[in-house]
Amino acid sequence: MSVALFYALAGAGLFSIGLHALLVHRHLLRKILAVNVMGSGVFLVLAAMAAPNAIALSDPVPHAMIITGIVVAVAATALALVLMLKLTAETGQAVLPGREEENS
Amino acid sequence: MTDVWMGVPWAVILIVLPLAAAMTAFVWPRISQLLVLGCSLVIVLAVTGLALQLWYHGVFHHALGGWGAPLGIELYADGLSLVLLAATGLVGAGVSVYASAYFSVEEKRRFWPIWLFLLAALNALFLSADLFNLYVTLELMGLAAVALTALPGSRDALAGAARYLFVSLLGSLAYLLGVALLYHAFGSLDIAVLAERLRPVPAAWVALGLMSAGLLLKTALFPLHFWLPPAHSSAPSPVSAVLSALVIKASLYILLRLWIMLFGPFAGDGVAAFLGLLGVAAILWGSVQALRQTRLKLLVAYSTVAQIGYLFLAFPLATVASWNATMVLLLSHALAKSAMFLAAGNFLNFGGHDRIADLDHIVQRLPLSAFAFALAGVSLMGLPPSGGFIGKWLLLEAALVQGRWDLAAVMLLGGLLTAAYVFKVLGKSFTQADVACTYQPKEIPARMQWVALILACGAILLGFGGTPLLPLLEIGVPFDGSGP
Amino acid sequence: METLISWAIDVALVLLVVSLAWRALASTDLFKAIVLFIAFGLVLTLVWVRLNATDVALAEAAIGAGVTGALLLAAYAKLRATSPDAIVDRAGGISGIGAISLLILILLVAAALGYAVWTLPSDYAGLGKEVAANLDQSGVSNPVTAVLLNFRGYDTLLEIMVLLLALLGAWSLGITIPRPEAAPGLVLDTLSRLLVPLLILVAAYLLWVGAHAPGGAFQAGAVLAAAGVLMLLSGRELPAALATWPLRLALVLGPATFLMLAVITLILEGRVLKLSPEWAGRLILIIETTATISIGVTLTALFMGAPPGEEDR
Repeated sequence: MSVALFYALAGAGLFSIGLHALLVHRHLLRKILAVNVMGSGVFLVLAAMAAPNAIALSDPVPHAMIITGIVVAVAATALALVLMLKLTAETGQAVLPGREEENS
Repeated sequence: MTDVWMGVPWAVILIVLPLAAAMTAFVWPRISQLLVLGCSLVIVLAVTGLALQLWYHGVFHHALGGWGAPLGIELYADGLSLVLLAATGLVGAGVSVYASAYFSVEEKRRFWPIWLFLLAALNALFLSADLFNLYVTLELMGLAAVALTALPGSRDALAGAARYLFVSLLGSLAYLLGVALLYHAFGSLDIAVLAERLRPVPAAWVALGLMSAGLLLKTALFPLHFWLPPAHSSAPSPVSAVLSALVIKASLYILLRLWIMLFGPFAGDGVAAFLGLLGVAAILWGSVQALRQTRLKLLVAYSTVAQIGYLFLAFPLATVASWNATMVLLLSHALAKSAMFLAAGNFLNFGGHDRIADLDHIVQRLPLSAFAFALAGVSLMGLPPSGGFIGKWLLLEAALVQGRWDLAAVMLLGGLLTAAYVFKVLGKSFTQADVACTYQPKEIPARMQWVALILACGAILLGFGGTPLLPLLEIGVPFDGSGP
Repeated sequence: METLISWAIDVALVLLVVSLAWRALASTDLFKAIVLFIAFGLVLTLVWVRLNATDVALAEAAIGAGVTGALLLAAYAKLRATSPDAIVDRAGGISGIGAISLLILILLVAAALGYAVWTLPSDYAGLGKEVAANLDQSGVSNPVTAVLLNFRGYDTLLEIMVLLLALLGAWSLGITIPRPEAAPGLVLDTLSRLLVPLLILVAAYLLWVGAHAPGGAFQAGAVLAAAGVLMLLSGRELPAALATWPLRLALVLGPATFLMLAVITLILEGRVLKLSPEWAGRLILIIETTATISIGVTLTALFMGAPPGEEDR
């Protein structure tokens, strides 16, 4: 196994861990962290395979894509945090209301 | 004159103008309304210009930065892009006018810049054929849509927006991971270049799965529709209209592009049949749920869940005629559903509630809006003469030619169920409410009523003008599977 | 021997990154979760360095761990002030058969992902060759900057718009994040006096160096934002006269300049964002400078939450 492959597999692992947390946890702050971990997993897959071996020239396009992705992630995180705070101010809790509460 | 018209880079204007207007509206709120209305008009004009260019010169390419694929990004437009750009232009203009009367001055100051960003994102998305650029436009659109959904600041709106945000981010990240796999397997982000290089390696299959799952989630195809009714029903009515008419179509557009240019030939009949099956389930489930709702905006939102189903019946049929039918349905649903949400918004504003049982003689009080609702309903049911009729007829024909009696039966049943929930609303709007009227009816500006009616008329007129327009859809023959 | 040590470092880094992510997402204490997440970002920075992605490492340290971490901590403080109940993360939501089937689903996803990555063709070099071949036409010698601002400049234009849009969204909801009420201590005050000019210098350096070495507008903008946040924390307010349209102008300066360049290049060169090689270097510097200012101001404003001068609605 090459180093690149090892890191790419770690990226796949981070994506899966984040996905699990996003679906299982109800607290919005935790969901925000989970989305960020998923994103880092995607970036890791992108970056790891950009330099498949030590001799090859490393490919700058995935690096640029990751930087774009990081900026998009911080933008989404900022909006999500404000939304969480506003929802907490309205409901007293930072969780999504369940289906049955919503219909009432 | 013609030369000038043909020489203008209309496609670029569609992206640059709303972005520039968004920033101007933010810095200088006082002129923002004028700016938005002017901008909407120019967008409609630009789509017309682009249509003429496509008609005379075929598909549109613009190598951004002058590099060209695969190193650079290219703008790309064909018949498929054109349909969605037209829908954006028309519905966008209608909603702009509606919103100018719907929101208060203070709300409008916050609404306009984000609204312009949403328009820019939609146009940019429909003009992109680069996988990573599509991701960026998808995020721009998603964040704008979430911000607009949350605008009222009520509990329901905030909860709907928050759920919508996480669904949207999850969908985008799954899509992006698929893009990463495709890039590393085949070394390009341009769809046309990828189409040449695609080989059936495991990475391609997993990418297909990830990207489809992410995009289906954003399109809210059954059973991934759970987030749509709360978000679309609690958003401000002009925003609901745009979410149902345009925003969910954006992820569907990417899915169609990927399917037709990239994955279709290679994924085969099994996946197509599965998507068709989900479409069938969406039609039945969404219609039944719509019928069960007691709140008008929720009913209209579930109707969207059902109508999305029709757009997936073309996958198993997979003929040029069935794809064309999907295009007509896309456009007619955009017009009819936006009209329906705007009319529902008028009822809601007028009475201060949207309980279907208490609509209380709304026909006499808001005749234009009730008429708009009915006309939009006609198109959704697929009755002649309407755009919905043409689309569903073409689809039905394709199903019968291939002996798919099951699909034909579902389409007809879906039409009946649609009729049932539309008449449920119309029936109540003639009758006296059970409880005595306790509210102070609010005046609805004429603009808001007329916009709903004009959009609904558009959906009907498509029934007359739809067939001659079909050749426009075939520019660049997006559906013969050969790619650009 | 050398490869053995190198492998040991890689294994340790990956184990650390994965375990930090795991613990950040599983810890019952939300404050601890945030701190672990910031640590995760910092270790990830080392991973980028290991993978020869120095530009990404800088962006991760400045934005991924830095700005995101600051935003998370600020939001946590506000959450605690709003509702003490809200910072408790009660487990649950999904349990029993649902939890098990979800786990199986995710294991399947993970297995599919692992298999896809494992079987990726190893002979492909992506677009590295194309970038290298056109680098001398791009106006800069750092290939990542060349991709970001020239070859795929349109992506970057839209991405700056995403950042501005996020701020508009946050402002439209209007939540102010409380600043410390007590006067800042002598330490913080002195520190900010010393650090703010230093941070501005660092930002300018990162911006300048981005043309030929790792660095660039986003990293520089985030460092600028650090200076802004530090000034906010030490109790300095934006003067009221600047808080209206001058602030808004600073926010759109970068995106507007970029967009204007798109229009000008379309008219002069016939292609959007086509930078002629003799001008490309200077044009990229102009875009990056204006973008840095706007990114710095935007990130600082995101930290504030609501437009200055407005109270919680």
